[in-house]
Formats: sequence, C-alpha cells, structure tokens
Amino acid sequence: MPSSMPATSTRKTAATVPEAAARFSTGDAVRVANGAVFGHVRTPQYVRGKIGTVERICGRFRAPEELSRGKYDGAQRALYRVRFLQVEVWPDYHGDPSDTLDVEIYEHWLEPVRTKR
Amino acid sequence: MNELTATAHHDVGGAPGHEPIPREQHAFLPWELRVDALMWILGDAGRPGGRRMTVDELRRGIESLSPDQYRSLGYYEKWLTSLVAIMREKGIVSGAELRKRLAEVTIAHEGEHALEHAGDEHAQDGGDRA
Amino acid sequence: MSAVHEHDDRSFELLERAFRELLIEKGVLSQAEVDERVELMYSRTPALGARVVARAWFDSEFKARLLADGSAAVRELGIDVGTLKLVVIENTPEVHNLVVCTLCSCYPRMLLGMPPDWYKSIAYRARAVREPRAVLAEFGVEPEPGTTIRVHDSTADMRYLVLPRRPAGTENLSEADCAALVTRDAMIGAG
Repeated sequence: MPSSMPATSTRKTAATVPEAAARFSTGDAVRVANGAVFGHVRTPQYVRGKIGTVERICGRFRAPEELSRGKYDGAQRALYRVRFLQVEVWPDYHGDPSDTLDVEIYEHWLEPVRTKR
Repeated sequence: MNELTATAHHDVGGAPGHEPIPREQHAFLPWELRVDALMWILGDAGRPGGRRMTVDELRRGIESLSPDQYRSLGYYEKWLTSLVAIMREKGIVSGAELRKRLAEVTIAHEGEHALEHAGDEHAQDGGDRA
Repeated sequence: MSAVHEHDDRSFELLERAFRELLIEKGVLSQAEVDERVELMYSRTPALGARVVARAWFDSEFKARLLADGSAAVRELGIDVGTLKLVVIENTPEVHNLVVCTLCSCYPRMLLGMPPDWYKSIAYRARAVREPRAVLAEFGVEPEPGTTIRVHDSTADMRYLVLPRRPAGTENLSEADCAALVTRDAMIGAG
C-alpha cells in the first residue's frame, strides 16, 4: 500500500473483499478520511473529515495514488459520488440550506458513519 | 488541516478570496494543442504497446511544481514540464539528449525566423501590411 | 534543464518540438498520430453537447436514458465518446447545477471540446464550490430564491454535462433550432 493511502484503506483490501462488491450503498452516511497525505490524491482537502451521503456508485476504478506512481495493475476500487450539504462543508456558507456539493470519492477514502435510530 | 496537506497548492477548492473570474479567452497556439495531443497518445491504453503513462502521472508532475511555477506557468507549459519530467523518470528520454535536441531546434528556429523576416519585408514592399 | 524553467516567448514551443522529435525518433509515437489528435480536438465543439440537450428536450424517453446512463445514451446519437463516463444532471425549477474541477480542469471534452480559460482559472476553481451563487451572478445567472444549487466537483473518473431547462417560447422551434440556442456555458451550469 503506498504511503499516500489514508489509514482507512488498510481495513479493506482486494484479498478480503470480492471485486464486484461495493462496501457502501446509495443513501449510506460516510465520513471522508482525514489523515496525512503524501503524493498525488484526488480527494480535495475541503471535504476531508466531512460527513456526506452516497448519491450513487460510479463503478470500479484503479486508485489514483497507484496510477500516479506508475502502478497500472492495482486493485480496482469502488468509486462513489458523495453528496455533502454546503452548510456542513463551509461553516460560513451563505446560501440556501438545501445547497449541496457532490464529490467523487474512492472507497478507500471512506469510512462508515453509524446513524442514530 | 495538517501541514502536509496544506502544501498542496493545486488543491484550491474553497480557497479564501473573491477575485473575479477572468473571462478573457486566449487562442490556442499550435504547440499547445500538440502538447495536449502528446498526452492523449502517451496515455492511450488502446494503442499498440499500451500506454506510456497515465493522467494521474501527468497530474503528479504538475502538482510537483513549486507554488510559484504553478501560479506563473501557462496551462500547457505546466503540462509540458510534467510530460518531460515523467518521460525522463521512465527513461524514455534522457536529460542529455533533450538538451542537445533543444539546442539544435533553437538554432534551426533562429534560421527559420530569419527567413520569416525576409518574407515580412517582402510583404511590406507589396503593401500587404495593415 | 534551465531552458525548461525559463519563461520566455519561445522556450516552451521549442521544448515541445525537441521533445516530440525525440519521441518520434524513438518510435514512441508518430507525427501522423499527433496531427490526427490535433484534428480531433478541432472537430469536437459544444455543438455535440447541444445536440444531446436538444434531443433530450424533444424525446422524454431519451432524456430518461440520458440521465440514467449518459455515455450509453450519447452513443445512441452516433457520437463517439470513447471511454468517457458521462453523468448528465438536469436543471429543474427547483435545482440548478454547476460543474467545476477544483483539482485541475476535468471537463467533458468529448462533448464540449476544450474547456474555456475561465473554467481552468484558479478563481473559478476556488470559488465555485464555496460561493456558487456569487459565481453564477458573475455569469449573469440568478436562480430564484429557494432554488437548490448543486455543485459537482469532477474529482475522479466521471465527467458532467448539465441539461439546461428548455427556454420558454421555443415550443414551435425544430430540434435543430433548439440545439442552436444551447450555449457551452449553459452545459457547464454557468449560462
């Protein structure tokens, strides 16, 4: 695992999860990892540590962290579109409280959020 | 936010400031389009022999520029700087051969430039200049 | 390589020439391939996206397929989108969509051609996600109060096309005439 992968990635590897499976489903609450980052990643800073909801599953793709280092045959990972409320992302957000920000995030950057029932 | 992520100068989403969005459009220069073409060809997995690099490698090269370069270089200047760095890293071209070739094309260009100017004078004689 | 970092008029143009010549000599690629790709860039314009939008306005079943699987629906029209993974997002009276790429300049080039300079600017990339209404106002777009603004950051493998609302008063226009009304900026969400 390259050092640029966030800590959550170690919990889920190609060996433990079948290729076709996606860990999260549409509507699931997820939190974006917020660890130290080295090298190339495609998860913007502004969304790290934030909680959003899976809007859709986009398919499976290789990780940019590995592709950027010349590893073209790494495991395919589920990619999600995660929807965040703007007011959750920016504490000083001026706009409608229903405004959203949708961001594509790879599974190894996401961790589950236990929702209260 | 930790110190390491704070140095990612390309990651500008939500950066403070309200600077107006510049709306001027420059005309693409032929060499800029060729740089774009080079990237697409080198990254095309469907070509015989497969791809030589990925767009994520291009991005890593761009993100490795200094913050000053990231802000001051043009869009395709950044692409080209990265493409060259990645191809050197992979040993596909060497710094020495690139320096040698650059010196050669610079001399060739100066020769062509002189010819262009000769042509300009000719055009001027004919009253073609506005 | 000092020449790479000198920022004068010709240094990058010359570097491109030197670099390309070496790649050709080494058999990595050919000049014909470069010329072909450049031609392809000229052939892709926002007219392609506009055709898709107008078809969706005229054919609700096509629109449903477009929203469900953008790439498959666009291929129905005979448009070659290669490996593009297209997500089409629909503007409605309740929702206005805006597309940005905060990390670089990802853009549905297969349908809109080259991204405009403003789309690649740091100001747009920085502000679109944080103050979309102020950004839209600069483009002359002012959604009604109460409209939800959805910003889409193209961070990974998907590319986005906004399906704008059909303008009022176009009921008697043909599909081709409607396509001619669709602007590039509208398909980004900024027009």
